[in-house]
Amino acid sequence: MVEATAAPQAGTGFRPDTYKDPELVARLQSRIAELAASVARPVKLMHICGTHEHEMGRYALRDLLPKSVSVLAGPGCPVCVCDNEYINMAIQLSLEPGVILASFGDMLAVPGSIPLAGERRGDVRMSLLDARARGGDVRAVYSAFDAKRIAEQNPDKQVVFFSVGFETTVVAVAAMLKRGVPDNLSIIEANYYTPPATQLLPDLEGFDIEGFILPGHAVTITGLRVYEGLPTRGIACASGGFEPVDVLASIASLLEQIDTGDLTVANPYQRLVKYDGNERAKRELHEVFELAPIRWRGIAEIPASGYKLREPYHHASAARRFAGRLDPLALKGAEHPKGCRCAEVTLGQIQPDECRVFGQLCTPDSPYGPCMVSHEGTCRAWYTYGMHKEQLRVETV
Amino acid sequence: MSRPSDAAPSATTARAASRYDTVRLSHGSGGKLTLELIEELFVATFSNEPLKALTDAAILANPGGRIAFATDSHTVKPAFFPGGDIGRLAVAGTVNDLAVMGATPMYMSAAFLLEEGYDMSELERVVRSMKATADEAGVAIVAGDTKVLERGHGDGVFINTTGVGFLADDVLMGVDQVRPGDKVLVNGTLGDHGIAVMSRREGLDLAIELESDVAPLNGLIEAVRRVAPNVRFMRDVTRGGLAAVANEVVHRQAYGLRVFDVAVPVHELVEQYSEMLGIDPFLAANEGKVLLIVAPEEAEAALGAMKAHPFGREAAIIGDIVKKPEGVALVETAYGSRRVLEMPIEEQLPRIC
Repeated sequence: MVEATAAPQAGTGFRPDTYKDPELVARLQSRIAELAASVARPVKLMHICGTHEHEMGRYALRDLLPKSVSVLAGPGCPVCVCDNEYINMAIQLSLEPGVILASFGDMLAVPGSIPLAGERRGDVRMSLLDARARGGDVRAVYSAFDAKRIAEQNPDKQVVFFSVGFETTVVAVAAMLKRGVPDNLSIIEANYYTPPATQLLPDLEGFDIEGFILPGHAVTITGLRVYEGLPTRGIACASGGFEPVDVLASIASLLEQIDTGDLTVANPYQRLVKYDGNERAKRELHEVFELAPIRWRGIAEIPASGYKLREPYHHASAARRFAGRLDPLALKGAEHPKGCRCAEVTLGQIQPDECRVFGQLCTPDSPYGPCMVSHEGTCRAWYTYGMHKEQLRVETV
Repeated sequence: MSRPSDAAPSATTARAASRYDTVRLSHGSGGKLTLELIEELFVATFSNEPLKALTDAAILANPGGRIAFATDSHTVKPAFFPGGDIGRLAVAGTVNDLAVMGATPMYMSAAFLLEEGYDMSELERVVRSMKATADEAGVAIVAGDTKVLERGHGDGVFINTTGVGFLADDVLMGVDQVRPGDKVLVNGTLGDHGIAVMSRREGLDLAIELESDVAPLNGLIEAVRRVAPNVRFMRDVTRGGLAAVANEVVHRQAYGLRVFDVAVPVHELVEQYSEMLGIDPFLAANEGKVLLIVAPEEAEAALGAMKAHPFGREAAIIGDIVKKPEGVALVETAYGSRRVLEMPIEEQLPRIC
């Protein structure tokens, strides 16, 4: 069984360096090469977390894998799967007088589907940054609690927190709501639950992924049991941390399972992930939120994959509070701009550089689709770390 | 200082404070209050002969050689941050711009844009900090200007500094002097300023013991150039961090710049908080760092000279100039894998998770 590290030694405490250790990386690299040789055919794996893509880029981990092993990015970027409806709602609300819209920084530049008037450069849509430039009071926050503080400091304003993210992020929002918030704070409910989306992937035509690196942060909350259905459908699973040693250990675990044919939900990231997750966090989460159908941008409406406020918390729902002031027609709209292939990128059906607008019409300073905006976005990571370029061969004097 | 037309300058001593607790519009109107502010604060603090003359232009001695001339405007939130303040930043920033060109910085002007209502004692602290930094760098603040913006039309204090330095006719540096095989050096840990300032921004308030590196680097640079006369290129590493400078170096050049990830000095706290905030220390701002490209045979001497200087104790050789790939800045990881070091795109914002 592959584990990210040996059991921690007493008294040594947490040593992050361990998980970047070049010697451990080299050992995992040769173990992966051995396993790939034993499997003796091309294997496609997928991770489901934007941070994994980011770290794979930052440490150029694909360079360390044998040619027969490829790792694709799945629907793991909360910014990228956040449906237009919520972005458009945030934009509309930010332009309402007396409203402060508080959002994570990553979300600010993501275009929704409201056309940006006066732009001639293709199918360009409005983002929260554009709303701010038009007078909207849009503020970047680091956590839901910052939004609460803004609400306390501005009792004469309505403060709307754009609650986007996966299991991990929504836990903090639940904790905040459960402990009570000022009356002038509400949230846009755009939180997504990963497992149903992963269960939908194997049904896609042409799906040939053999293993999932499970999102380390999210499974810290939910645990691994919710993924038990996947091995029976032919998909190996392994929890995945984010340091180079963690990522390679997960890849090795998946290859081991594929090599032996003994598919399971392994836990190489056991230093943080418990098989049943974090019981207290799950309990609070389910007190405040319930699972409901939600649209994943460019993918589909997936049953029981969105967190919506339970009845006792309806007062904090921005969609309910501002129902009369939102333009329902403007909330809907074509999901991705013309020519944008974010949907296929998000499903791991293509790599970013197979999209014609990638790096041309769509760049981080002028993003066309959502995957180019957030640091979690696959296109953004590819652009930033040059993953679309030929392997960087160095020639010295 | 904008000189009121007929007021005779009188000798003043550094009386602690102005009669006013806060800045008034009249402090920028060219009248009595302006003169008071100039004499009692700026002239008294900056204290040098050309400034004391209160003429329309400072008349300065010319030591010969070519003139280096640079200007920079400064705004920072908060104005006082761990390890420095906007005053030190404004002086050091312009000193460094001159020094990296191989010039000896000598004179500086300071123009203040103050917001009505700005705290006078805070302004005094800023001005004293400018004086201390100017003394440290051996430059004189010989000219200036004050304007006051109506309340709500400024952000406390903005400072523009313009500096003049002199350089010998034979100083030859630039990206066109850089050759494959040259070594890339920095004078210490990267990202300190960016993370220190961000840690005190509204909404984060991280109580971390990290100080900005803001410092005038002309002394350090002089020490390096004494032992490494063939420095090919220097640039101060400021906004945009290492990534911005590395890309400016290779832009349209027939060589590449390779950084060895593990060789780059990064303060332990910067490392930790960058990870937590999802920020890349290679993109974070610095205010007391310089990147040098040095001929390989002079690299060790340059490194030694920096390590012997208070602002270079953690200097390191962080990379080299390569023949290929051309026009690309790249990072080689501890594992031998390689990635592009892309030009920074936008302001660094904390991420979702």
